[in-house]
Amino acid sequence: MVEASKIYHRYDKNSGYALSNINFIIERGEFVFLVGPSGAGKSTLLKMIIREIIPTKGILKVFGHDVARMPRHRVPYLRRNIGMVFQDFRLLEERTAFENLAFAMRVTGASNRDIRRRVPYVLEMVGLPDKADARVCDLSGGEQQRIGLARAIINRPAMIIADEPTGNLDPDISFEIMHILRMINLRGTTVLVATHDREIVDRLKKRVIHLEQGRLTLDEEKGAYAGAL
Amino acid sequence: MPVRYNGLLYACGEALRSLGRNKWMTIASVGVVVVTLLMLGGFMMVNLNLEYITENVKEQVEIVLYLDDESTLAERNELREKLLAHGSLEEVRFVSKSEALQRLRKQMGDVVDGYEGREDNPLRDSFELKTKHPELVGAVAEELAGYPAVADVDYGEATVEKLFAATRAVQLVGLILMLGLAVTAVFLIAHTIRLTVFIRRREIMIMKYVGATNWFIRWPFLLEGLMIGLLGAALPLGALYYTYQASLEWVAANNLMFLTLLPIPIIMGELVKYLLPLGTGLGILGSAFSMDQFLRV
Repeated sequence: MVEASKIYHRYDKNSGYALSNINFIIERGEFVFLVGPSGAGKSTLLKMIIREIIPTKGILKVFGHDVARMPRHRVPYLRRNIGMVFQDFRLLEERTAFENLAFAMRVTGASNRDIRRRVPYVLEMVGLPDKADARVCDLSGGEQQRIGLARAIINRPAMIIADEPTGNLDPDISFEIMHILRMINLRGTTVLVATHDREIVDRLKKRVIHLEQGRLTLDEEKGAYAGAL
Repeated sequence: MPVRYNGLLYACGEALRSLGRNKWMTIASVGVVVVTLLMLGGFMMVNLNLEYITENVKEQVEIVLYLDDESTLAERNELREKLLAHGSLEEVRFVSKSEALQRLRKQMGDVVDGYEGREDNPLRDSFELKTKHPELVGAVAEELAGYPAVADVDYGEATVEKLFAATRAVQLVGLILMLGLAVTAVFLIAHTIRLTVFIRRREIMIMKYVGATNWFIRWPFLLEGLMIGLLGAALPLGALYYTYQASLEWVAANNLMFLTLLPIPIIMGELVKYLLPLGTGLGILGSAFSMDQFLRV
C-alpha cells in the first residue's frame, strides 16, 4: 500500500536531510504508528504520502504508484483515496457537521442523494448521530475530531493518515478517538497515525515505526513507544 | 475540466456568495469595467458615425468646381464643353448658386434665412462632377483646377481626408485611454478575486486535502470574474442605448439633417459584439491572474 525505499528529503540544498534512508512497507489493512519527537520527520513523511512534497531521492510508492512521477492532475485522485485527520481538525468551523461532510463529498462529484444517504451513516459511525445540524464551533474538541474522522472516511478511502490526531485532546477523549480509528481499521482500512502520545502507543500494541532526526531507528510489530529508548 | 450540473450549480452559488461578501470590492471592479467599456462604447459610437458620414460624403459628391463670379458666359460654356468631352468624367451637373442655397436651407433649416435675395447669396455657381473611377478623383481635380472660369476645386477626397484625420485622432485618444483603463480593470478584478481566495484559503486548503481537482477549486473564482465582467458590460450597454436614442432624437428635433447617423440596431449590434466579449474577457483575465499562484494542488 505504501512502499518507501531509500527515501531522502531535504527542504533546500543548504539544509541537512529532514529524512534520510527511510525504508518500510505498509501492507493493506495494517494499523501503524509513526512515532518520534517533534522534528523527527513524521510530518514530512506524511506529506510525502499525499504528495504535498516529493522525496529528494528514493522512491515512494503509494497504491503502487511512484508519487514523484505522478502527474499533477492525478494528485486529487490519490488524495480521495487517503483520508486525512489533523491535530487542529481543519474543519469549516462556521458550518454544520453535515455541511462539513457534504463539502468533502461534493468535491468528488457526489450527488445530493448520495450525500443525504451517506452523511448520517458516517456520523453514526463516529458516535455523533444527533450532531448533524450543530455548527462545528459549538462542538467540543473531541466531537470536532470525530467530525474530522468522519470526513476522513466519508469518501471510503483505502487509507487513513492521522497527524497527531489526539495532540489537542484529553487522555480519555484521545482513547475514544483511537477506538474509532481501530474500528475503521477493523473494517479493512489501512491506518497510519503519527503521534508522540506514548500512552496510546503502548496500550494499543500495534506496529510502531520510530523516526529520530530523520532516520528510521526501529520498526517493530506490536511495539511500544518505549522501544525507541 | 468537465463539470457536472451539480458542480456548476455549486460553483455559481459560491461565486455569487463571494461577490455579495466582498460587496465593495465587487462594486469597485464592476465600476472600472463599466467606465472602461462606457468609454470604449462611446468612442465606438462616435467613430462608427464618423465613418458612416465619411462614406456618405464620399458617395454624394466627388468633385465640385466652383466658378469665378467674374467669369463670362463664353468662358463658362467653354468649360462646360471641355468637361463634357473629358474622358474620365461620367457625370457633369451644373448647380446654380440659388439651387445651392435651397439645398443648404433644406439641410440646415432656418439658419440660412435672410439670404433670400440673389445679390446677397454668398454661394457660388458650380459644376458637380463624378469620375468614372474613384481613384482618379485627385488627379482629375488637380487638372481641372487650371481650366478657365474655375475659381476653386473641392473634391470629396479632401473632406474625406479631414474626416479620416478626425476619426484617427478620436481612435488614438480612445485607444490610449482605454488601454489604461483596461489594465486598471484587470488589476482590480484580480485584486477582488485574490481577496476572495484569501478569505477562503482555509476552505481551499481543505478542498485540496479531500481531493478536489484544480478546476473544481477554480471554477467559482473564474465565474466570479466572469460575472464582474458581464455586469460591467451590461450596464454600459444599457446606458449607451439610452444615450444614443436621446442623441438621435435631439438631432431630429433640431433639424440637423446633414448629420445622418446610424440607426440604433446597427450601432447596438456593433457594441454588443465588442463590449460583451471584452467585458467577459477582462473578467476572466483578472481572475486568471490571481488564481494560479494560490490554487495549485
